Amino acid sequence: MQGWNILLKKIIRTGAGRNRHVLAMAGLAIAVLLILTAVQIQANYRDLLYKKNNRDSIANFLVVNKIITDQNLGTTGLSDNEINDLRKQDFVESVGLLTPSHFKASIQSASDRFPFYTDIAFESVPQEFIDIAARDWKWDEHALFVPIIAPNMFLDFYNFQFSFSQGLPQLTQQVVKMIVFKINLHGPNGMVTLNGRVVGFSDRISSLLVPEAFMKWGNQFFAKKTDRKPSRIIIKTKDPGNPQLSAYLKEQGLSADADKTRFSRYRKIVDMVVNISGLTGIILLLFALLVFTLFIQLTVASSRDDIQLLIILGTSPAQLHRFLVKRFLPGTWGIILLAFLLLGFLQFLIYRILAARGIHISILPDKTTALTAMLIAVTIGWVTSRSIKKYIHFPLNRS
Amino acid sequence: MAGLYYLIDCIFDAPSRIMAIILDHLIPIPLKERLLQSRSAIWDTRIQFDQGEWIKIMAASGKGKSTLVHILYHIRFDYEGTVWMENKQSDNINRDQLSELRQKKISIIFQDLRLFPQLSARENIELKRVMQEPFHKSDRIDEMAEQLGIQPVLNQKAGLCSYGEQQRIAIIRALMQPFEWLIMDEPFSHLDTTNTQKAAALIEEECRRRNAGFILTDLDDDTHFPYSRKLNL
Repeated sequence: MQGWNILLKKIIRTGAGRNRHVLAMAGLAIAVLLILTAVQIQANYRDLLYKKNNRDSIANFLVVNKIITDQNLGTTGLSDNEINDLRKQDFVESVGLLTPSHFKASIQSASDRFPFYTDIAFESVPQEFIDIAARDWKWDEHALFVPIIAPNMFLDFYNFQFSFSQGLPQLTQQVVKMIVFKINLHGPNGMVTLNGRVVGFSDRISSLLVPEAFMKWGNQFFAKKTDRKPSRIIIKTKDPGNPQLSAYLKEQGLSADADKTRFSRYRKIVDMVVNISGLTGIILLLFALLVFTLFIQLTVASSRDDIQLLIILGTSPAQLHRFLVKRFLPGTWGIILLAFLLLGFLQFLIYRILAARGIHISILPDKTTALTAMLIAVTIGWVTSRSIKKYIHFPLNRS
Repeated sequence: MAGLYYLIDCIFDAPSRIMAIILDHLIPIPLKERLLQSRSAIWDTRIQFDQGEWIKIMAASGKGKSTLVHILYHIRFDYEGTVWMENKQSDNINRDQLSELRQKKISIIFQDLRLFPQLSARENIELKRVMQEPFHKSDRIDEMAEQLGIQPVLNQKAGLCSYGEQQRIAIIRALMQPFEWLIMDEPFSHLDTTNTQKAAALIEEECRRRNAGFILTDLDDDTHFPYSRKLNL
């Protein structure tokens, strides 16, 4: 049938409107690239959020408290309803209560060679929210010392400000962990002194953390009042950049570490880029499809007499349809493949740029992107086939 | 009865079945008044052409020869009455069946030839050879062209050939495919006597090869073929 196709090529002139065809092809290429880019950006963003090697411990945990205003001074506790409501939100994986110490405490150095003294307060948090796997992170009444997790910024504050102003030596984390100091707990029945030691540093919660068992014991024996509402809670979330989360916190008059929710601004920008890119792509695709349909119509119209004679001589609609589909479809499918390959190349470049910054995304386009490309190919195939079928069906009763 | 025929046809649709053509009170609507004024062996009567018959239909100009040919070839439907082919009314034939009919059962030589002027003579003929499973090998094109004296113009664009040459190209094109009926509308109108005899000999040879019938329309009587029947339109 090779000869048949060559003859049909000579008869059915597909050269009509070539410039328009080239423009339509270019439009299609841009449209497909935009749509695939939109899908791929989403996939990359998903990778960044959920892939294990990208998980940022700061990003996934947020400490939440009420925004202090003139109206709620002294009543910043979170009610059970408020906490339960937060638990029900889709973007919250789990909620932990931060228990503050309700007793007066201070720490001081154990030796006079390195004297220091400061009043202090502690907080405790359920074990699952602790990101330090310290061997000594446990306490009971017979323990030799109280383990403490300190925020990194405390040490930074000491090393880069306090030590200079007081003429004290700078300290590494290892040195700090070796220092045993005294913890004084002041209760209604007098003061109790225990030993304490820093066992780890964390960025997650910016307070001095002690084991829950110690906090329970301390609050039981040294607190003036019991059963207080928690003022701060910690939530675990898949995506701290989720704009819904920021909106919820704002609506409830809650605040979280702004640095951690800054992702929500990026997320909004990413969403906007994805939406604009996707929408433009879809509009362009629709225009490209329209131009293609018109192009097919134009080709059939410009060869109308010849096509009619072919039909009169016995050419079947299926033969004509097959020939025209073969003429039009490989080009458009080639364009889609080209756009996909170009996207693959861009993905590779972005992969390399981000990998150099320690951020890992897939080196290859996502499978949803490939599926989208296939879907576009099938849609174009269907539209092309349908247009050809429509335009070659001349009425039978023509001579 | 027609329904029964159709049912039988659907059940036993054997491609090799011999095809008869029945015209049942056929009359073209635009020519109706004029044609009904005179007697005709075809119009407004029932007539059957059996497979393998060589039919000559004679008529003066304006009597509807080409109209009849176009009705038989299913490119005109502005008529009253019924045309039966393969026990099917021509109205019931769909596009796919029609193209199958034109590729395998009925071939045609148009009075106005209907060649593709942009294709060479050979390409015009080849088109009909390869449109379906080829009946002849491609060498046969050269043999036939040689026989009809158009070998020198085979590679020339059909649009540039003389009318006589084009008529011979159209004849060879019609003989390239398998057929049970060959319909010819004044096929020798632009050929001299010698070339007419050569063309008639070739047509006869090809019809015999296929055991096919033909319907030939012309202005006058002739002895080009041993006709089965001669009818006045």
